[in-house]
Amino acid sequence: MEKAQLLRYIAKRALIYVITMLVAFSVLFFFLRLIPGDPVSRFVRDIEVRYSYRIENTQEIIDAYKERFGLNGDLLTQYISYMRRVFLEFDFGPSFLNFPTPAQNLIWRRLPWSIGFLGVATLMAWVIGIAAGTLVGWKRGTKLDSALFSLALCMSQIPYYLVALLLVLVFAYVLGTFPPRWAFSPTVTPGLNLEFIASVLKHATLPALSLILVQVPSWVISTRALTISILGEDYLLYAQAKGVKKVRLLNRYVLRNILLPQLTGLAMSLGFVMNGFFLIEWIFSYPGIGTLLVQAIPVLDYNTIQGIALISIFTVLSANLIIDVLYPLVDPRIRTGG
Amino acid sequence: MSQTFKKGTFLSRLRSEFLTVLKSSPVFRVGFVLLIIVFFLAIFEPAINDFRLDGHPSTKFGVYEKLLPFSAEHPFGTDHFGRDTLAIQITGLKFSLMIGLTAGGMATLIAVFMAVVAGFVGGKVDAILNAMTNAVLVIPTLPILIAMAAYMRMNLWLISLTLAIFSWPWAARTIRAQILSLKEMGYVELAEMTGLNKFEIMFTEILPNLIPFIGVGFSMATIGAILAETGLRVIGLGPAELPSLGMLLNWAMTFGVMAQGYHILVIGPAAFLVLIFISFNLVNTGVEEIFNPRLKKITGI
Repeated sequence: MEKAQLLRYIAKRALIYVITMLVAFSVLFFFLRLIPGDPVSRFVRDIEVRYSYRIENTQEIIDAYKERFGLNGDLLTQYISYMRRVFLEFDFGPSFLNFPTPAQNLIWRRLPWSIGFLGVATLMAWVIGIAAGTLVGWKRGTKLDSALFSLALCMSQIPYYLVALLLVLVFAYVLGTFPPRWAFSPTVTPGLNLEFIASVLKHATLPALSLILVQVPSWVISTRALTISILGEDYLLYAQAKGVKKVRLLNRYVLRNILLPQLTGLAMSLGFVMNGFFLIEWIFSYPGIGTLLVQAIPVLDYNTIQGIALISIFTVLSANLIIDVLYPLVDPRIRTGG
Repeated sequence: MSQTFKKGTFLSRLRSEFLTVLKSSPVFRVGFVLLIIVFFLAIFEPAINDFRLDGHPSTKFGVYEKLLPFSAEHPFGTDHFGRDTLAIQITGLKFSLMIGLTAGGMATLIAVFMAVVAGFVGGKVDAILNAMTNAVLVIPTLPILIAMAAYMRMNLWLISLTLAIFSWPWAARTIRAQILSLKEMGYVELAEMTGLNKFEIMFTEILPNLIPFIGVGFSMATIGAILAETGLRVIGLGPAELPSLGMLLNWAMTFGVMAQGYHILVIGPAAFLVLIFISFNLVNTGVEEIFNPRLKKITGI
């Protein structure tokens, strides 16, 4: 592809990226504000109850808090000031959950736990799924194929939170092999010691396993489909006729053509995993952003909810953009298209 | 796509298309039988429960002794509220399906409207609607649903509408792609040449051929809605007067019956949910195989 053409392509993708992000975020903002509920008055009432203290000039205090939370003025003013704060100052605003800690601090504190177990589990599921899918596709029409493929089809129908619930039921309550909740045992001291790491791994096993069990089947199904379609291509027949060895055929001709589209899928799912699977965290009381989200909703903590949603929208779209930009550089077929 | 071009009235076409799929796809046959079982249980839920419980409503507390073991009278025992477990789970299935179908229907209406307008007007309108679709697609929907369910008094229509607002984009994309490819078909060009206007072409030539895809979109949206609804109910939100399977799971979890060993209270609703998902999905796969030959080549079933 010509350089100018490539630049135009990248510019177009970047523009779509920015527009989609703005639209998605605006829809999210207005939808959340449409929900009836007055979190500030509730927040002030909670303070009164907690400290058994009668606030005299309630209205003024409510107004002052509204100012802090960016909830004063009409919707449009709120929207503009919020967007300015988030996109120019990278500040999500104070949280209700843990006032006056800013929402972003609350989120950053939980994020490593989520990225840790969600990221690792998604990657593991991807590797296992691609390997199994290629194998099954390669052996298409055999008993192994039909057995594994039917298993994958059935498994892919089970909702992720049910898988998590059943795993808790079997491994935590019936067998007692793994702990049912939290990220590490209360008896160990957090830090870089073996005991802590072992405890973290043990606690992450069940949440990660439920994520892997949910994701592997869909990777197997899509990889098998790709493999079978590649096996039907003329160039593969030609290579076979030339006498290219099986291992080389599988590595150079099949796997290479599978990896590219499946990498796109991986980028997509790394983004979606955040908002798709946060109930798994809640089921295991895992201290990630999923659990934080479930805690933020009952108090209608706008800044925290929006912050988490923004991060998840940002991840999905950025992953897409990166793939869109890298694709023509890697795949010669797209280079001419633009 | 040869199966899709059939002559005759709308209904007879629909029937012959259905028979084609039924004859040629074993996946569809299995799914269809399971779907009949699901619908049978849901539709005849009042009769079945009346017969089994001597007229006691399945949701009434304390009719029987609490947490009875399995017996002939109570095949799944009773729960911690003193209700027949099997009966309340069939009731749950009914409500899950009811909410799912209502939401799925609403979502399909939105999707068809968006896709038809985008696919037919084209140009800038298409670009704008497409951007909307893609934006809604990346919004994390469950958090918004949870927030709405937590703050609004939900009934069947409101919860279905809320679910529908976020489950239309996938169906809209599929249907739009199909309209774009149908527009290029020879017979649409022919119809244009004979002087039919866009509107007539849409309703006489294109919409009938979209039916299988609208059907697939509907059942996908229904599954999506049930999935999201169950997610809401598992964490304890949503209308209490519609005890769906998700709500049963929430009851089981919050009362800690899992830790006490009454596993059927979790496994039962889970099994019914999986039955719903598998039946809808198999029917979908079957229909797609027939009407999307490229897919058939790829899945190779």
